[in-house]
Amino acid sequence: MTDKRTEDMLDTYFTAARDDAPLPSGDFMARMQAMALAEQPVRQVDTPAPSWWQQILSGIGGWPAIAGLAAATVAGVWIGAVPPEAMSDSVSDLFGVSAGLYDSSGSFADPLSGFDLAFSEG
Amino acid sequence: MPYDASSDETDDALLARYATGDAAAARALTARLTPRVYGHAYRLLGDRAEAEDVTQEALLRLWRIAPNWREGEAKVSTWLYRVTANLCTDRVRRKRPSGMEDMPEMADDGPGADSAMQERARADALQSALHDLPDRQRQAVVLRHIEELGTPEIAAIMDIGPRAVESLVARGKRALAEILRGRKDELGYTDD
Repeated sequence: MTDKRTEDMLDTYFTAARDDAPLPSGDFMARMQAMALAEQPVRQVDTPAPSWWQQILSGIGGWPAIAGLAAATVAGVWIGAVPPEAMSDSVSDLFGVSAGLYDSSGSFADPLSGFDLAFSEG
Repeated sequence: MPYDASSDETDDALLARYATGDAAAARALTARLTPRVYGHAYRLLGDRAEAEDVTQEALLRLWRIAPNWREGEAKVSTWLYRVTANLCTDRVRRKRPSGMEDMPEMADDGPGADSAMQERARADALQSALHDLPDRQRQAVVLRHIEELGTPEIAAIMDIGPRAVESLVARGKRALAEILRGRKDELGYTDD
C-alpha cells in the first residue's frame, strides 16, 4: 500500500494529467468521421410485403397479361354468341346441331330448351 | 460545436443505429469515441502519431463488427479499451521506447513558475513516468486513475480478476511514486 503522503503526491499528478487530456486534431476527427461513413452498412429501406392481388398480378405477368386475357375472353364470348358462318356450318356437320343463339333460318334458338323439358318432366 | 451531439443515447444504442445505416449515429459515435480512444492510446504510447494510428485501427474494427454486435452482451467502451490496449501493446513490443529519449522537456522556471505551467509539467512528467512502468501496470494505472474506471470494468478490459487489478494498480503506483520522486528535483517544484 502507498502511504497518505504518496497518495496525495500521485493525486496531484493524476489530476494534472486528466486536466491536460490529449485531444485529437480537427483534421483527424474529420478523417475518422469519413471512415465511419465509408464503412457504414447501406441503409435498408423497409418495403411492405406485396398483397395477394399484387402477387397474383405479378405471377401471371402484370397488366399486359391481364389485357390479353380480357381480350381473349371477350372474343370467346363473342364467337360463342355470334359464330362466324364457317364455324356454324362445321359445328352443325359435326354434331348435327347449330352453333350459336340463332339457327340457319335466322330465328332465335334456345340452347337450353331440352333441359327445360327434362326438368319439367321430373 | 460539441464533439458529442447525442450524449443521452448509450454507445450500444448508437452502434445498433450505425449498423442500420444511420449516418447521424455514425457521426455521433465517431465524435464520442474518437477522443476517448485517442486519449487512451496516447496515455499508453506517449506518441500522438502512433495514437492516431491505433485509434484508426480500433475504430475500423468497431465499424466492421457493428452489424454483428450483440447489444447488451459487452459494453462498447470495454471492448474498445481492450482492443486499444492490445494494439498499443503490439506496437510497444515491436518498438520498445528508450524511455528518457521520449521524455518531455521539464519545466525549468524554478519555484516561481506559474501554476498552469506547473500543471503541464506534472502531466508531462507523469506521462513520461508511465512509460517506465511494465505494460500491464501502466494499463491498470491509466484505466483507474486517468480514465477513472471501476475495478469490475478494468478487470473485464484486462481479462483478469478484481484482485489482480488491485495488485497491478498498487504496484504501478508504488513504482510511479519512486520514479516521480527521483525526478522531482529536475522539475523544480515541490508537491506540497
